[in-house]
Amino acid sequence: MASISEYDIIPYGDSAFLVQFATKVYSETVTNHIHALIHSLQGHDHWEEVVPGYNSLLAYFCPAKFKPYEAKKVLIKALKNPVAASKSVSKTIDIPVCYGGEFGPDMETIMESSGLSQQKIIKLHSEKSYTVCMMGFIPGFTFLSEAPQLLHHARRPTPRTIIPAGSVGIAGWQTGIYGLESPGGWQLIGRTPLNMFDKDRDAPFLVHAGDDVKFVPISPLEYAKIEKRIS
Amino acid sequence: MIEILQTGTRITLQDVGRPGHRHEGIPRSGAADKLSFGLANWMVGNDWNTPALECVLGGQHFKFHKDMTIAIAGAEMWAQVNGQNVSNFTAFKVKSGNILTLSFARIGCRAYLAVPGGFQGDDFLGSISTYLPASLGGYKGRALQSRDQLETLDITTTTRSIPKGYAPQFSNHMVFRALEGPEFYDLCLASQRNLFIDPYEATQNTNRMGARLKGNKVVPKEVTNMISSPLLPGTLQCPPDGQPILAMTDGHCTGGYLRTLQIIRVDLWLMGQIKPGSKISFRRSIGDDAFEVLAGRNAFYSSLMDGFSF
Repeated sequence: MASISEYDIIPYGDSAFLVQFATKVYSETVTNHIHALIHSLQGHDHWEEVVPGYNSLLAYFCPAKFKPYEAKKVLIKALKNPVAASKSVSKTIDIPVCYGGEFGPDMETIMESSGLSQQKIIKLHSEKSYTVCMMGFIPGFTFLSEAPQLLHHARRPTPRTIIPAGSVGIAGWQTGIYGLESPGGWQLIGRTPLNMFDKDRDAPFLVHAGDDVKFVPISPLEYAKIEKRIS
Repeated sequence: MIEILQTGTRITLQDVGRPGHRHEGIPRSGAADKLSFGLANWMVGNDWNTPALECVLGGQHFKFHKDMTIAIAGAEMWAQVNGQNVSNFTAFKVKSGNILTLSFARIGCRAYLAVPGGFQGDDFLGSISTYLPASLGGYKGRALQSRDQLETLDITTTTRSIPKGYAPQFSNHMVFRALEGPEFYDLCLASQRNLFIDPYEATQNTNRMGARLKGNKVVPKEVTNMISSPLLPGTLQCPPDGQPILAMTDGHCTGGYLRTLQIIRVDLWLMGQIKPGSKISFRRSIGDDAFEVLAGRNAFYSSLMDGFSF
């Protein structure tokens, strides 16, 4: 059982601290704790950036306003007493996904490694809800909580040079969504027609760290319909 | 109005970027060399953080369609107006019909062209900084192309020269002061030392996102799979092939490679002058010293440019 009290505060350059939790595996407790911390630190305007990781948190401060030891003091205080994000802030968002075929070119790889049928993989992947643990490395990329164990799979040995936006993939125990077309090495099992990131939308980000998402399997026909509706 | 005749390697519109969105995967972006960008603006009488053009490696030609004052700062690119040399250290007047040419970056990589009142661009999250991977900000979300026309304002300005001591001196061998990154001590002892000994060289894979370096291999004590974690500009990452990658202003917000060194804040602006072939050395800094140096340099430059900070 991962503990929220096992962590180190590591200086990261002269303007940031990294809070590194000891857990090496996915821990819901630690993830929720990190999101509560983010929530309480974001209220303090001396931080330029507060960024969640799976088992870490980056707090980047402005040294013109904040001496390093003062920043650390605020961080330690927040770590001891984070203001939990109220449940109404987080929401569950349905993400329609067309699994397999041209949308999930690595489905067969996962079928081989798991010994499961495509139908069973779709059921496993879509029946649970996931927490959005962190965003990045590029806009809209959505890092989710742990995938069902049978679906765990290492990244592709050679990354693809182009992965279409909306692709849903597996990397180790992680599952996630490519927000933009980009290179990448995740095993792709499906794709959503939704735009995870759209700079011209009133709300450019479909999801935020701390939200819950649930995948809803759709057919290629439904994919085309949704794609047409939102374009 | 200014017309782009030739874009050279690249021209983008930049300001000081959009801080506060790394948790959403949006890097700060902004002028890669914040200091030269600020000085170019100061010379034409702008606030230091006014939008300006970032010109990479030279080859840019501009045509002016009205009389105006302009300034160039940053990498020395043999700038000429209608064949007459112009300075990187003083604002100057151009006439309607004049053509400004930037030849090539002899030293450094990026030069900034500022005009009174700055340039208009597409706003995203409070900044017009161009971020090409997601087509954000800038001129229609893209780099400038030849025949693009940029409107300029009719405002009178002072024509300033950078006072002695304020203009940075560039070299093609750059030295960055750095602190140990979060995973520095996961490196083998030889690699910990090597990072500070021989210079690295920036490869062709060098842009606003990062610079892939070549030089002494950087090897961890043991190979482990790191869990994706936040990443900052100025971090020297160590991928499995042992050739480090320096994250820059448009760099990824999270990453899964060892974070071995972190360039101190006061030296980050100089990363904007790294070009393929640049030699790069790291010198060990100490946390408290870095803070003092930063406070001193902020005071020095904000006495010239109101509100400037590194």
